[in-house]
Amino acid sequence: MIKFIRFVGKLFFILAITAFLLDVIYTTFYISSNSRTKIDYLYQSKNLQYDVVFLGSSRVANHFIPSIFNKKALKSFNFGLTRSRLEESALMLKLMIERNYKIKNLVLQVDLNINSNDHSEAIRGLFMPYLHQSETIRNHYRKIAEYNQLLYIPFYRYMHYDARIGFRELYKTVIHEKTNALEHKGFYPLIKNQRPMVAANLSKYYPKKNIGYEEIKLICKQNNIKLIAITTPMCLQTINRDYFKKIKQIYPEVYNFENAVTDQKYFSTCGHLNKLGAIEFTTKFYEAFFKNQQKN
Amino acid sequence: MFFNSFHFAVFLPIVFVLYWFVGNKSKSTQNFLLISASYYFYAYWDWRFLFLLVFSTLLDYLSAIKIEQSTSEKQRKMWLWLCVSINLGFLGIFKYYNFFASSFGNLMADVGFKVNPILLDIILPVAISFYTFHGLSYIIDIYYKRISSEKNFIDYSLFVSYFPLLVAGPIERATHLLPQIKVKRTFDFDKSKEGIYQIIWGLVKKIVIADSCAVYANQIFDNYLSMNSLSLLLGAVYFAFQIYGDFSGYSDIALGTSKLFGINLLKNFDFPYFSRDIAEFWRKWHMSLSSWFRDYLYIPLGGSNGSMWFKVRNTFIIFLVSGFWHGANWTYLAWGLLNAIYFLPLLLLKKNRKNLSTFALGLNFESLKNTLNIIGTFTLSCLAWIFFRSKTIEDALLYIKKMTTNTTFTEQYFAIERYNYELMYLIVIFIIIEWNFRGKTEPISGKYSWIKLGLCVAAILALGVFSDSKEFIYFQF
Repeated sequence: MIKFIRFVGKLFFILAITAFLLDVIYTTFYISSNSRTKIDYLYQSKNLQYDVVFLGSSRVANHFIPSIFNKKALKSFNFGLTRSRLEESALMLKLMIERNYKIKNLVLQVDLNINSNDHSEAIRGLFMPYLHQSETIRNHYRKIAEYNQLLYIPFYRYMHYDARIGFRELYKTVIHEKTNALEHKGFYPLIKNQRPMVAANLSKYYPKKNIGYEEIKLICKQNNIKLIAITTPMCLQTINRDYFKKIKQIYPEVYNFENAVTDQKYFSTCGHLNKLGAIEFTTKFYEAFFKNQQKN
Repeated sequence: MFFNSFHFAVFLPIVFVLYWFVGNKSKSTQNFLLISASYYFYAYWDWRFLFLLVFSTLLDYLSAIKIEQSTSEKQRKMWLWLCVSINLGFLGIFKYYNFFASSFGNLMADVGFKVNPILLDIILPVAISFYTFHGLSYIIDIYYKRISSEKNFIDYSLFVSYFPLLVAGPIERATHLLPQIKVKRTFDFDKSKEGIYQIIWGLVKKIVIADSCAVYANQIFDNYLSMNSLSLLLGAVYFAFQIYGDFSGYSDIALGTSKLFGINLLKNFDFPYFSRDIAEFWRKWHMSLSSWFRDYLYIPLGGSNGSMWFKVRNTFIIFLVSGFWHGANWTYLAWGLLNAIYFLPLLLLKKNRKNLSTFALGLNFESLKNTLNIIGTFTLSCLAWIFFRSKTIEDALLYIKKMTTNTTFTEQYFAIERYNYELMYLIVIFIIIEWNFRGKTEPISGKYSWIKLGLCVAAILALGVFSDSKEFIYFQF
């Protein structure tokens, strides 16, 4: 039996060493990458100055075209992350502050994402490689249930979020395979159009006081960033469009832009504009808020 | 409690320590500890069904004694049929009632009568097919006087409910397991070490191979209408490896776990995808179920004795029942029927016991023939798996139609952000490992075992699927 206990002890030693080595290898590659995701890019950058930064989900990534602003000498970047919620948007903003960004205007999508105080597992995973390196990320996740396991058990975070930061993603990072996340300053145009278009059903959506949004408001105030919270376009067939009015009742400062573009030809899906729609919408948005701020 | 769960990782060492350090005084204390652990293991899933398990165990235990005590053949038969009927009755109600009732309703609707069958809102108790078959084999063996009835209820309960085999087999025989339960087990380092290796290899099969394949296979089968020929072909291959990795991985973990307690279980898989014909495949796939059907259904039906018509009839019965055993769905029946059709030419040409020997591949004609036969057999089994995996027979037929008529063999990018072909690299590596170590129960032992162990651990950690943890497929049966 003693022989067996020794055998099991060696086995656990192998397990611990393997987990530790894998953790070191994965983390080393991830924290030196800046070409795969907007989070990589953000983490690797420092002291950047932006006139306009966009934050939110795919309804930001697919809707705001920074080049329209850049042409007007307003330096901008679209940090919208597909599937992200306001919790992740708040963390993105905190990271920008940590990386010493100077931001004048933050455009934040506050519409479907205000329906819930939940988080996105898929996006949370993308922050995990930086857990040991970034105090901001550690502080942000300190209260989540698995915080200690994620922080202290070697390689646990890569196993837990294997679909996003597992072996496949590591391999793509190692070979420097680029994604389209950073092309067009973070704007990702949608080309295909869903026809017939399936109406979005918001009948179970109720806007709520949102912790992430409250955090973002506070950070903006503390850092002298002008916050522009807006709703973004949804197709006219959307069920329960009153939802957007209810947002305004809870947060009167939110600007309603869900009707800024309504022609069906501008929609890729009911909740996402196509490239033409994005041009139309960004132009309208620019004219509403920035036309008079144009630099010479 | 699943073998690939954190709870099991805690449960197993606790039971191991109690078994060898506290319950090691006698065979009785060992068995008492194992049966307590087994009932906890089962109750962890749903304690209410523990009563059903205990009832089934008690029924078989008492019936066996009654059969043995009976003074006339009529009485013996009466006890046998009573026990078999109640066992199959439970299985029928929990597993098949809704299927038959709704099929009857559909049939009546097709001929113009509107019938609203009463459907039961019940959960299928985990492992009911497995422990029912355990009990049936025991009672039939008693009836045919192959063994004597077990008088110790704890020992008999352990035979039925021993936790490594309880939920998904292997389906044990009283002649094999009971004698091991009847003696005090002594600790054997080599056996335990082999058990650990087998558990780790089982985890590789389950977490690395089966669960990775599941990610791709689910995406392809769930969206087969939008897939091209290459994706559909790969989908069938991925599912073939998913179910193999899942079930043989489970069996490896079960056998390995059991070795830690000094008990050997029946081998359940013998590298079935290296079979040269479908008969060999069925001798190597889910061996404990195949041999169960052979011994308790095929042979009592007359087996291979009698005319060719009888042999064909018996073969079809076996495969259809085997298909139906897996689940109450026409797709399982179609899967069984298809395998029977595959088997038929071998039976008619009396070639079903042709490939019994082991073989090696080299640079000769015989090897080329064997390789082609292996590929052919694998292709046939993949085709049958499409029925097994599909939700309906219509889905399966459409899947096959689209696979053969779409004729687009390009890479396809899935909504899960994966290319259709990516997983093939992993599968090829797995096939090479399985081929090279097919003479052993697991590939870790032997030379450089620590290095191989490290590689397996690294594979589980780095290549395993954890975020979308999967249950074992055979738990539902």
